[in-house]
Amino acid sequence: MSVLLTVEQAAFLQGPVSINVAASSRDGWPCVCRAQGCVVGRDRKTVTVLLSARRGREVLDALDAGSGIAAVFSRPTTHTTLQLKAGCATRGASSAALRACNGRYAQGFADELVKLDYGADLGQGLIAVMSVSDLVALRFAPEIVFDQTPGPAAGRVLAAT
Amino acid sequence: MKPTLEALRPCLDGAIPAVVATCAPDGTPNVAYASQVHYVDAGHVALSYQFFSKTRENILAHPYAQAQVIEPGSFRHFRLRLHYQRTETAGPLFEYMKAQLAGIAAQTRMDKVFVLRGADIYRVLDIEAVDAHLPPAPPPSDALLNLRRALDALGDATDLAELADRALGALTPGFGIRHALLLMLDEAGAALYTLASLGYSNSGIGAEVRVGEGVIGVAARERIPVRINYRTGDYAYHTAMRAAQPDEPRIPLPLLAEAHSQIAVPLLHGGHLLGVLYAESEHDAFFSHADEDALVVYARHLAALMAQASCDTDDAEPTRAAPAAQPSGATLTVRYFAADHSVFIDNDYLIKGVAGSILWTLLNEHATNGRRDFCNRELRRDPRLPLPDFGDNLETRLILLARRLAERCPAIALEKTGRGRFRLHLAQPLALEAR
Repeated sequence: MSVLLTVEQAAFLQGPVSINVAASSRDGWPCVCRAQGCVVGRDRKTVTVLLSARRGREVLDALDAGSGIAAVFSRPTTHTTLQLKAGCATRGASSAALRACNGRYAQGFADELVKLDYGADLGQGLIAVMSVSDLVALRFAPEIVFDQTPGPAAGRVLAAT
Repeated sequence: MKPTLEALRPCLDGAIPAVVATCAPDGTPNVAYASQVHYVDAGHVALSYQFFSKTRENILAHPYAQAQVIEPGSFRHFRLRLHYQRTETAGPLFEYMKAQLAGIAAQTRMDKVFVLRGADIYRVLDIEAVDAHLPPAPPPSDALLNLRRALDALGDATDLAELADRALGALTPGFGIRHALLLMLDEAGAALYTLASLGYSNSGIGAEVRVGEGVIGVAARERIPVRINYRTGDYAYHTAMRAAQPDEPRIPLPLLAEAHSQIAVPLLHGGHLLGVLYAESEHDAFFSHADEDALVVYARHLAALMAQASCDTDDAEPTRAAPAAQPSGATLTVRYFAADHSVFIDNDYLIKGVAGSILWTLLNEHATNGRRDFCNRELRRDPRLPLPDFGDNLETRLILLARRLAERCPAIALEKTGRGRFRLHLAQPLALEAR
């Protein structure tokens, strides 16, 4: 069972947003890893986020062991933030299309940071961090969507199954 | 080798938001942005608690978290495994984080949204360098070398006035600081007054800051350094000054209209607060953690020199008095208001408080007895002056008075004639009016 993301939400998740994915290990330790791109399914009921296998080893291990997934998406220039959660996520094979998605995402996010006067060094660093050959695709069907934009409405449920 | 928490301090300045993962008792993960991960000591960090969020709910039920922080300039990631200890809602750490959060909030245009409710203290159990293969960010300037340069320029002056000027002048070759203030704590411990300034069109000598007001006042009240790396309106003084009674005479602080970085460091010696050293810059993130460390050491050294200069005994005799020049020209009207010891020269505000009281006493002594030479020792015993029995700031008050006169009324001057001795010079005749 999955929520149906709105067109706006789907566009937001695939835009120049900071993406981080969390899980909890079998012994109860929370863990987090930066993701490197996102693809929303045509039916707007599934989300695929890209992780480096090395950087995200702990999160991937926790998900393999049956952890639920939480993913937060935030646009630095507006602070608009959404968190999606699901009871599980499955690994998918990397593909040329996903690698291209990763490249587009890294450049788009670096450009977004330049708008915030972080400087070109940070953008170059970001691209260096995200230039990896061990991409893993994590696919999940969001069961709940939270508005996490800072402010009084933070934590509001936008959609739930 | 695992990085130390000290080595991660550049990641903990709020330049790039951190993310924090927690989990509920049933194992459901949660991930959220944290506007502030603050370095507490080599084994602890504090996270700002601003809203009652899922993160907080989880932490109270299951006190473990993982924070991911990013090094500005390199984008290298580090992950901190954390164990929640307690929440502080008052005290030095809380006040420091509150001030820093104001800077972060302003930088991210979240001024009205970010309000600190508490400082959540976490023990750091483990640090993981996620991108150990990537080159680190270029190192910041060497704060220890900066400190050495500043101390060389400061020298070992034993005269308080010279020391005050050198204390600020030495900050430029040392740290590249171009705008700074030296403020001393008043006798009542309620306010600080500006004794010297660097890099402003108006010197602001004599301008006061209440203890607890703005970055300077918080540094004084909590006796901690406070560093803000981004422009913020929350800790600006303009607001407080507008709120002050409009008819209350006040010398404006000469601060930058839009400081992007600010640091205030207390001058502590022998367990006592002597004053505050304040510096600011038009640039974001001008002061690093290491600069803060170095300026704390610099302020300690300066406080010791100032305390030592204040303890030196006064000269037994004044230097020989030169023949007094006769005052000439238009008569200046000096008005004194006993309620707050404020002094006005021809309706222009000059000074108030202890310094105002000293000036009024000197002018009356001169008018009654023709005296021009005075010594600190007699002023300390003068019942007309509101000086405390111990720990008075007479010497710094006299420096302040002499400087304020030089700026606003050069016809009245105080000339130092020896240690603890000075001479009153009058270039124009005076009419004294007490109200």
